[in-house]
Amino acid sequence: MWTRTVNGRALHFYLAGINNQNFLMRDKETGTWWQQITGKAIYGPLQGAALELVLSDELTFGEWRTESPSGQVLAPVAKYTKEYDSNWEPDVAKLPVVISFPSTELKSRDVVIGLTIAGAARAYPWETFAKQSPVLDRVNGTPLLLVLGPDGKSFRVFVSRIDSHDAEFFLQSNSQADASTDKKDWTLLDTLTNSQWNFQGCATSGPAQGKCLDRIPALKDYWFDWRNYHPDTTIYKR
Amino acid sequence: MDRQQTEPRISRWLWTLFFVCALAAIALFFIPAFIIRPFRHQAPHALLLAMALRQRAPLGTLIATLASFVFAFALWRIVGRWRKALLVLALLVVTFSTVMARLNYFEWMFHPIAGAQFIAQSESKLDPKEMIMAVRLGSDARAYPISQMAYHHVLNDVVAGVPIAVTY
Repeated sequence: MWTRTVNGRALHFYLAGINNQNFLMRDKETGTWWQQITGKAIYGPLQGAALELVLSDELTFGEWRTESPSGQVLAPVAKYTKEYDSNWEPDVAKLPVVISFPSTELKSRDVVIGLTIAGAARAYPWETFAKQSPVLDRVNGTPLLLVLGPDGKSFRVFVSRIDSHDAEFFLQSNSQADASTDKKDWTLLDTLTNSQWNFQGCATSGPAQGKCLDRIPALKDYWFDWRNYHPDTTIYKR
Repeated sequence: MDRQQTEPRISRWLWTLFFVCALAAIALFFIPAFIIRPFRHQAPHALLLAMALRQRAPLGTLIATLASFVFAFALWRIVGRWRKALLVLALLVVTFSTVMARLNYFEWMFHPIAGAQFIAQSESKLDPKEMIMAVRLGSDARAYPISQMAYHHVLNDVVAGVPIAVTY
């Protein structure tokens, strides 16, 4: 998600093509071509400009609903409901790929969480992440916490620092056992203050109560797409 | 110089000019369309050429098409039936290219949302397991179901007064 104000003017984007399975968009105001994954203007009058990233989440509707009681949902357009595919993930995975990186240890259609910290990119293979969550890591000196939500599908990435002190987090063991039956019990504990934290990254009880961790933008993507736009990316291993 | 020699020479020139203009109009549409097609690899320099041509295609095809019609009109009076058919056929492809250079056929496959509507989350019939993209700006929280965004791909929205582009 991007802000679409450039040089003080709000641009309106439309789908304009495809570049190795990442779409191209153009803006109605200048006709400039933009790459979706990077938010960069690659050709036209605004070439070289970059859209600013808006922090967004990929969550299940169920998770988001409990977090956002007054939230609004994009209504389906009646004319196109038969085009909407709730099974898009396995369906898209079947499509052919046009670029591949055979020398890397991941397969083109492997799903990764990609993030960039001050120019350093890292990809977290989804399977490894989901098995290990919460994942503690460090990229370019920044301590990170990647967590899979109580629903087993939503994810978020935080800076694992409480009041500028590095902290470690783990899932409270009873919540792990009950995850399938009672999702409300899902709780993280930190080793620094021994406080309890929810999936939004906020301490709900303990000495840190009321504090929230800083968020890191992260993208769920296919390996080939992430690698194509982040040639220097490292891959998380453990 | 007598007529017998001049006419073939003029007609040769007219044919050459006609084909140059016709091919220009056709290329301006078909080259980018061929390069930017799904499920194929796009090399960086080819993509650049595609964008450059497509950018110039609306005006370029218009000029090339008008010129094609002028030359075809001049040829019409001096050529036989089969060559007239060739002219008509070429003009049909030229006109098609000129129309297509103005239309966004990607939006025929993936229709944009005109005037997006939002509903309270309590009214949504979405399955709790469905994935959504979520944004929170100030006190405004919005969810965009991925099943919908994977079809529309782009949505121009305004959340808490901030114009944003939701892309998937």
